[in-house]
Amino acid sequence: MSTLLPGLPRAVLRLHRPALALWTAFVLVTVGCLVLVASASDGARSGLTDCTAPGDGCLADPWAIDYGSLLGTVGGLTSLGVWAVAAWAGGALIGRELESGTARLAWTQGVSPRRWLATGLALPALALTTGSAAVAAVFQWAWSSHQDLTADEWATTGAFAARGPALAAYTLCALALGALTGLLLRRQLPALGASLALTVALGQAMAALRARFWPTATLHDGQHLSPHAWQPSGHGPAYHPASHFWPIHLVETGVVVTLAALATAAAFAVLRRRTA
Amino acid sequence: MTTATAPVTGALTAPHRLRWLLRLHRPALYVWTAAVVVLTAALLWLGGPLTDAAVHAWRQYDVCRTGATCVYDQDAILRYKDVYQYTTWAVLALPFLVAAWAGAALTGREVESGTAHLAWTQGVSPARWLAAKLAAPAAVAAAGTAVLVALHRWAWLADHGGIDTAKSWSSFETYYANGPLPVALALAGLAAGALAGLATGRALAALAWGMSATLALWGAVHLAAPRLYPAVTRTAGLDHDGPVGSGIVLDSGIVTADGRHLPDPFCGSSAYSTCQALYERIDAVGFFSVYHPRSHYWPLQLLATAPVLAAAALLALAAFVLLRRRTQGKAATA
Repeated sequence: MSTLLPGLPRAVLRLHRPALALWTAFVLVTVGCLVLVASASDGARSGLTDCTAPGDGCLADPWAIDYGSLLGTVGGLTSLGVWAVAAWAGGALIGRELESGTARLAWTQGVSPRRWLATGLALPALALTTGSAAVAAVFQWAWSSHQDLTADEWATTGAFAARGPALAAYTLCALALGALTGLLLRRQLPALGASLALTVALGQAMAALRARFWPTATLHDGQHLSPHAWQPSGHGPAYHPASHFWPIHLVETGVVVTLAALATAAAFAVLRRRTA
Repeated sequence: MTTATAPVTGALTAPHRLRWLLRLHRPALYVWTAAVVVLTAALLWLGGPLTDAAVHAWRQYDVCRTGATCVYDQDAILRYKDVYQYTTWAVLALPFLVAAWAGAALTGREVESGTAHLAWTQGVSPARWLAAKLAAPAAVAAAGTAVLVALHRWAWLADHGGIDTAKSWSSFETYYANGPLPVALALAGLAAGALAGLATGRALAALAWGMSATLALWGAVHLAAPRLYPAVTRTAGLDHDGPVGSGIVLDSGIVTADGRHLPDPFCGSSAYSTCQALYERIDAVGFFSVYHPRSHYWPLQLLATAPVLAAAALLALAAFVLLRRRTQGKAATA
């Protein structure tokens, strides 16, 4: 089957088969965790006796009480996945090939540097987007199947990005930052470190800026704050109702995709200057 | 003087080996020193000025609780919380940094590039080569991590109960960053990384294996230690708000008249009529909690640290055995 692929993509695929297997395993494990948590909560919910919500006098299972934080933990796992992508892209995908000279060898074998980088990025991007889309779809399904058991966890780093296209945006940005640092530093370990540090810093910066991506709502007199409302610290009494999730999520996706595009363009520019 | 007595075979003396190791890994030593210095400064700042400001802010807040007008330094409280969280996670990340470096740069890269084989042909026996590679980094990693966990413990104790939101001794990050386990994990990470580097001969794969092994060891002792030490079981009447006894809770809930254990319904005291009705319906007689109180801190820490140290020794031993088998095999075929 792989003989149907032309030479360069086949080479990239063969070289990074362990990474592809790891990524597939990661996607499957994450999806498995989500299905497990959601179905265990189904069971816990049917076990609730004489009550509509945890806390009003029912025998509740911890699975039902902690649903939001359990999903937040799975969301944290996806953040680790994004970090791993950054480390791999900087270290193994680009940095090692430049350090060992295999990249230079490829360029003398009729593969132009541009095509080398384009293929090296396009195939991983395809796998990463597909995997992220699958995880995000199942995450959103798990979230919406017991949304009433969650509180303001929708705004926390783990659960926020994992529920939509922002997850794919973050993985692609990690890939692009890895390519850029790999081309700039040309050594696997420094590139791995720099790429990882940049990706972690990006996530921290986005978490700090997130509350500003959409105008906040204010509480009117006599109105009660819903348990799903998110009150970001440092914003006084202003809050974001849960309905602000999608607007904020889409703005954040746009910002991260833009950064990914800029990093990719910069990577190609660095490559051209190096090989000119 | 040493040069005059040095054997003509070109074998390196111990001080030479140390100097050569230092030169090769100078960037790593710089990064490690910078990390230790920055974290030391951050922890001193946290335990000193930041704690004082946050304690002062909490005192202001306590006055507010009784008075009508309220001014308190919320920023001081939040800054303490943020810096505490960052420094705690940074301390816990140190063993992984050591494991990643040991796998990738200490042995993995040298085997991958062939410099290791070159060294072995230059009069440095493989066992000596590995011993030199493990000893100095182990001392540096253990010393740095030990200083930082001690400082973390000092900074955590500095508020003397004056910060209401300070983390409890049993909260996950605080529990581990205050004790000796990170030091043992750093040593185990070093040994695991070195072994992975020799076994795979590839820098990045060894990095991943070294970090995974460290994480697995931590996970294993995290699950095992609280179950190996006898826990305290405490029961309380239904007029309490819930199970009594805080710390590392292994199990808690409701005891029924026939002695069965049920999960905590999170209803509250039987003083509330709805809860009273619920407790009567399920035939509850009291709350129970199986937990480790604060006095179990050191036994639990030692039960977690000792196996990790043993694992570090076994991993290092495995690295030597693997290296000998490899190099003997080479010599036999050559």
